[in-house]
Amino acid sequence: MDFSFLSTGPLKFDFLMRIAIALLAASLLGEGLWRFARLPRVSGYALAGLVLGPLGLGWLDAHDLPYYRVIIDFSLTLLFFELGIQVHARWLRDNPWIIVSSLLESFLTFCAVFAALYLTQRDIRLAASVAAIAMGTSPAVIMRVVAEIRAQGQVAQRLFVLCALNVTYSVIFSKLIIGSLHGVFNGDWLAAVIHPLYLFLGSVGVGAVLALTFKWLRGFFDLSDEQGVAVLFGLLLLTLSVLEALSLPVVLAPLLAGVMVKFLDPRPHLWPRNFGTAGAILCIMLFALMGVSLTWKGIAMGGLTALALLGVRQVAKSVGVMLLGPVSGLSVRQMLALGWALSPMSAVAFLLVEDIRTLFPAFGAQVGSIVLPMMVILELLGPIVVQLALRYSGETRKKGT
Amino acid sequence: MALGLFKSSSPLTLGVELELQIVNTHDYDLVASAPDLLRLLAKKKKPWDVKPEITMSMIEMATGICEHYSDVLTQLEEIQEGMLDCADRLNIGICGGGTHGFQHWGERKIFATPRFSQLSDIYGYLAKQFTIFGQHVHVGCSDPEVSLYTLHGLSRFIPHFIALSAASPFVQGHDTGFQSARLNSVFAFPLSGRAPFVETWADFSQYFNAMAATGIVKSMKDFYWDIRPKPEYGTIEVRVMDTPLTITRAAQLAAFIQAVARYLIIERPFQPRENDYLVYTFNRFQACRFGYEGTYVDPQSNEHRTLSEEILLTLDKIEPHAIELHGDEACAALRRDVLTSSSDAALLRKEWDETASLSETVQRQCLRWRA
Repeated sequence: MDFSFLSTGPLKFDFLMRIAIALLAASLLGEGLWRFARLPRVSGYALAGLVLGPLGLGWLDAHDLPYYRVIIDFSLTLLFFELGIQVHARWLRDNPWIIVSSLLESFLTFCAVFAALYLTQRDIRLAASVAAIAMGTSPAVIMRVVAEIRAQGQVAQRLFVLCALNVTYSVIFSKLIIGSLHGVFNGDWLAAVIHPLYLFLGSVGVGAVLALTFKWLRGFFDLSDEQGVAVLFGLLLLTLSVLEALSLPVVLAPLLAGVMVKFLDPRPHLWPRNFGTAGAILCIMLFALMGVSLTWKGIAMGGLTALALLGVRQVAKSVGVMLLGPVSGLSVRQMLALGWALSPMSAVAFLLVEDIRTLFPAFGAQVGSIVLPMMVILELLGPIVVQLALRYSGETRKKGT
Repeated sequence: MALGLFKSSSPLTLGVELELQIVNTHDYDLVASAPDLLRLLAKKKKPWDVKPEITMSMIEMATGICEHYSDVLTQLEEIQEGMLDCADRLNIGICGGGTHGFQHWGERKIFATPRFSQLSDIYGYLAKQFTIFGQHVHVGCSDPEVSLYTLHGLSRFIPHFIALSAASPFVQGHDTGFQSARLNSVFAFPLSGRAPFVETWADFSQYFNAMAATGIVKSMKDFYWDIRPKPEYGTIEVRVMDTPLTITRAAQLAAFIQAVARYLIIERPFQPRENDYLVYTFNRFQACRFGYEGTYVDPQSNEHRTLSEEILLTLDKIEPHAIELHGDEACAALRRDVLTSSSDAALLRKEWDETASLSETVQRQCLRWRA
């Protein structure tokens, strides 16, 4: 009898196995947290990622990151397109105070984090990079939590808009800083100016093409049924590949496209039901993978600084929202809730650190040692804070939350 | 609490209240933003009468005392403009229509005032099911006896008002087949229906006191009648209409009611009797279910005719009064609608057919309200 169809030698598990385990562990932990404690599932996903990552069992690590990148990038493309559709350009015209308060909130966050870091570390480039990344709020976290408890109202609505705006500033600023690093590191000032400009205009261009194509397809398909899901997935995957071919950031173009779609076609955009399921699986992966770059060594280096910066960042965001809250039409309770709900940081921060690390490995590691601990803490606690804030503002519609 | 005196008001003046829907602009479901809207409106420091309603996705706007149709329209326009300005700043939509097409009543939140909380305790889920949107028209009466005469006289025209205002074909995501499904939610309340047949204020007070003595009611507000006297305003209040999709329509309906009231008070064309009410619920049901196509049974002659024929007959009879009240244009517009079978309910069904989406139908309701 020939047994050669059986595997010979020791069993080898490839990265597919590790992904499978991550998916299982994350979804079970997430469901457990939700069912027994009514805590957000995303906290469970992130917890699973930490347990499986270098900090815990070490099954997932940065070694496989190039494989994971596709999952991370595609999840973000979906998320940002969905976020964009929730942002009404018309609203920003009718209530310009929202833009002003967004600028103020982000500006204060940048200044506060920059000042705190510069005063302790005396490194302008490090302080500026971390401050730029810290401006952003995680759309993945807020969208999952809002959907989970079916929150609806001024706080949830403004949370989406402020998040879309502060992530945009965060990405552009980070790229500007990378651009200036080019100048510093290679003496190439022209590249330092043109690079961020290219990133922004390129994103606008790709976003516009995506938006127009989406609007055109909507004439043929009901994009909220099963066929629509396939069409939408294909379209967004195509966008992702175009963005990568053009070396453009994966988040800005889909976000701008979403905003343009809503602006060009203000009809209700109902997100396909099945799309939610597929999106949710990607999202679980996204959160489970965020822990892979964090090591105990990294935490020892930047953990304390990260904790201090989190406090500074939260104060800055809350103050920013509180200062212009009344004039933009919020009650005190809503302002407090909104300020706290802006706290999460996750995948975008991760990607920005990765981008810096790719170009400037040593400096990237330095930035990562501060940003990654901040991100991990906020991945675990951020969703809970958002949930509490939305409950405090009375916007939940799900029973038991 | 005693009933109190009937405060005389100048005859045939009008007051119009509209209950409106507050929706989000993403999927156009109802959103609990009444407190936000009221907070922003308060900052405008205008004397507008805008009040919360039982659930937080509803808001009520009301005119002051109006003489005529154009008066009603101007006042409604001014409040509407202010309210839309605030709504835009909050990124929420406002619209007319008697029901929201696809909301789930279980998700509604009771507006936290002592009265609404108490109603919620008494009526349970009925209070949340009461997220329906009506138009109320007050008609001024010089004395209580006239008010009771007008009340019973107008009862014959309830089907007319229902058919002309019908704007609630959809409930909880389904086409009910009704033109006005909203009134079905009102029926569920134990104190709904019609006022007792009494013709003098003394008898009415006696009825009220007897009811109050049972402990069931405390004030006139506890009666959910189709038409009820409002002694502190010196008016009777017609409450069967759905909130129309536009304020123009709302003002036209008010003008029609005003002209019918003038016809009753000046011509005294018939003496109301208890037996008028034999056909009342039948006629009312026909109007809710079939609108203009419904059957109308004449309480005096027991003749059967379609409601559209009956409305056209009424429009003929009241024409001189409409002219006198500068409401003839409004009545002519209603006549055109009856002749072409146009109603808000029909319009909503057409839009649902076109878009195959109730979300989109609500979005169009918002656009129409703004137009």
